[in-house]
Amino acid sequence: MDAIAIDEPEVTMSWQGVVRFLHKTPRAFLPMRSFPSLELVAGRGIEGDRYFVGQETGFYSHKPEEGRQVTLFEMETLEALQRDHKIELLPEEHRRNVTVEGVPLNHLVGRRFRLGEAIVEATRLSTPCRHIEEILGKAVFDPLINRSGLNCKIIAGGTLQVGDAVRPI
Amino acid sequence: MAKAIKTVSTVVSKVEDLGNDTKRFTLVDQDDWELPPFRPGAHIDVHLGNGLVRTYSLCNEPDDDRRYVIAVKREPEGRGGSNFMHNHVEVGQPISVSLPRGGIALDQVGSNVFLAGGIGVTPFISAIRHLERRGRSNYVLHWTSRGRPVLTDMIAPAIEAGRVRLYDTNAQAKPVIAAIFEEFAGSGLAACCGPAAMLKTFGDAVSAWPEERKHIEMFTPPKVIARSDVPPYELYLSASNKLATVTPDVGLLGTLDALGVDVPVSCGGGICGACRTRWTEGPPIHRDRVLSPAERQNELIVCVGDCAGQRLVLDL
Ligand code: FES
Repeated sequence: MDAIAIDEPEVTMSWQGVVRFLHKTPRAFLPMRSFPSLELVAGRGIEGDRYFVGQETGFYSHKPEEGRQVTLFEMETLEALQRDHKIELLPEEHRRNVTVEGVPLNHLVGRRFRLGEAIVEATRLSTPCRHIEEILGKAVFDPLINRSGLNCKIIAGGTLQVGDAVRPI
Repeated sequence: MAKAIKTVSTVVSKVEDLGNDTKRFTLVDQDDWELPPFRPGAHIDVHLGNGLVRTYSLCNEPDDDRRYVIAVKREPEGRGGSNFMHNHVEVGQPISVSLPRGGIALDQVGSNVFLAGGIGVTPFISAIRHLERRGRSNYVLHWTSRGRPVLTDMIAPAIEAGRVRLYDTNAQAKPVIAAIFEEFAGSGLAACCGPAAMLKTFGDAVSAWPEERKHIEMFTPPKVIARSDVPPYELYLSASNKLATVTPDVGLLGTLDALGVDVPVSCGGGICGACRTRWTEGPPIHRDRVLSPAERQNELIVCVGDCAGQRLVLDL
């Protein structure tokens, strides 16, 4: 990491990450499908995803949640699950839309950052959900506490592609 | 806040009358998306509306992942599920189903001996299609039926190859179940699905076999997430004046659900706090990782909570 300006009250974030996988699914419980790109729409979500505002069919269909227009997950968590818990969790199994590498998700709540050509604002950390264990038949609930990803709303939309950079504003 | 979705939405894409009072239904996603995965011989709950829920085995195999195929025999004396399926379910109709559960733990290399009575063949159709798809022939199915068996089209290659023994009990003697399994006593899996008398004979025939080598198809209830071992207690909801008994198999959350109370649930595991509820009589058992000791004095995380006493009163 570059030198951190300790004296400044607003610590400048210096990290640079990359989009490794993109996934979406149109309805609750259906498997996630992988895509080379996703269409992010400001204020609404990902076209064709279950949480797209206006046509929600996700786990909470009747509850449009502004803060969950796009969800992110760390590649590093998948590696840690394998290393520390011997659990193989695949990118299509964690049920978040964007798998990123090199992005400190837990430090981004409340901040805006660039996701490819889009700009998103992190609203809150995701919590794991018990039903994921039921769907996968893997005991991932406990290991995912505190590293279950990040919920964001979309400030400026755009096409997001695998390989795109993720960086602070 | 809204109620969580608990079922998978499907659409009936095909209804086939197979004769012998049996219909086959194919359920798909409205956009032909993959459906939630399942194991060979798994089953689903089908929600028929007006409270009717029936459990049926899937006949198709896990790799055939864009449809759920079920076969339903009309039981004129039944509790109404099969009649409803036969009389009212049509192509194009939306149907909610549960996530698939259960399934048969097939012996990968050893023998798998299946015994089915009539429509009880459905989980084995799934298992056989699964094995055949992998080019495996380490199984045999003994299948009795009264009159012409249905669903044979789904395992035609297996029948042709002689891996299925059919017994039309209208025309020939029933198989001697004990003799079938005697030969395999040393190794492999034995599985049975059929009428009660057949299950009983099967159970006797393999009584000396270790548990992990036998499978009696019984539909398993949905997994209880916060399984508890506390004795049943009374639940009173003071704001809505509702009363119920909470039993360990249903649990507190399941009971609230059955009472039609709309408690917001998110993680379902006691960590997010979405379901926090005020209590006035208890004392409750707290199993969450959210509330402070002070908050626990009058709040309870109901998704993992219970009652240590006879009666729990919640402000709902
Ligand atoms: S639903 Fe998350 S704590 Fe109960």
